[in-house]
Amino acid sequence: MKGRLPWLVMGAVLVVALVIGAQGRSGPMTEAQRVKHIASEIRCPTCRNQSAAESDAAAAKAVRDEIDRRVRAGQSDGEIVAFMVSRYGSDILLKPPSSGVASLVWALPVVAVVVALAGLAVAFRRWRARPNVEVSAEDRALVERELERERA
Amino acid sequence: MSESASDVDVVVSAPRRHTARWAAITLGVVLLLFVAVLATRKSAADKQAESPLLGKPAPSLTGTGLDGSQVSLAAMHGKWVVVNFMASWCVPCRDEHPELVKFSQRHEAAGDAAVLGVIFDDTEPNVRRFFDQLGGSWPVVSDPGGRTALDFGVRGPPESFLVDPNGFVVWKGIGQVDANGLDKLVTQGKARGA
Repeated sequence: MKGRLPWLVMGAVLVVALVIGAQGRSGPMTEAQRVKHIASEIRCPTCRNQSAAESDAAAAKAVRDEIDRRVRAGQSDGEIVAFMVSRYGSDILLKPPSSGVASLVWALPVVAVVVALAGLAVAFRRWRARPNVEVSAEDRALVERELERERA
Repeated sequence: MSESASDVDVVVSAPRRHTARWAAITLGVVLLLFVAVLATRKSAADKQAESPLLGKPAPSLTGTGLDGSQVSLAAMHGKWVVVNFMASWCVPCRDEHPELVKFSQRHEAAGDAAVLGVIFDDTEPNVRRFFDQLGGSWPVVSDPGGRTALDFGVRGPPESFLVDPNGFVVWKGIGQVDANGLDKLVTQGKARGA
């Protein structure tokens, strides 16, 4: 039990951190916050790795204006994102979609971590199960014989 | 029974070599799959580009032309229209322009196809100068705020869309176009009965 305590503590810390991280913001967002939030998920069309919320490019501003117009028209976040995808395709999203082939981007790291942890568990068990190796007189004699034969 | 040193080596390392062999085979298979996926993907240089608009009605496109007249894509129904997003600062736009002039002139008499330019992130005076230098008499509309570019999902000039006589987007090209390529697309479209 004593040996497992650090693992239990680490597990508890991980769960608490995940719960805190997964909790959304409290209270409804203002329209401006919603525009910024949606724009932060959309890739700036003319600059590869920046969001439309961060970029100063004219195309990014056009995206922000369009989101603003649609937020004011009462559309949901999902509807606005779907409109952007209907024009540019799914690669306009900074986060890959969680369905279809693109979902592999999310699934593969999880699979890799699980396989790595399983591998570590197997390796630890094997190392622990390995008996203490002691050199017997017979072993020493064998080595001596081989060394003698090398020298000859 | 006595074993030589090499026999002992073989016995001790056999399981490890077995694992290494499987690891190498797995890695090889993964690499082969990776190469196969890359080899079967369309080249980035391929001019035919993917677009969610393909096969769908073209977004509405209206505006004031450089000569002050009202321009509308809907008013051009019945013709094949090359909607060309361009800017005077864009070198490939400058390079493709003579090809658009050639395409436009070839179809002027028959009136079956035309070009419609849309200014992408540029000013009207700059584009007017561009046309004065390089020729071309098709309608060109400005796109203040970039809303038309957004409606067409344009990332940067030059990008062109071929709209059929019924107003459907049948082709999107990223980069320079050429007159013969556009003619071929129109001919293929006519053969399909659009």
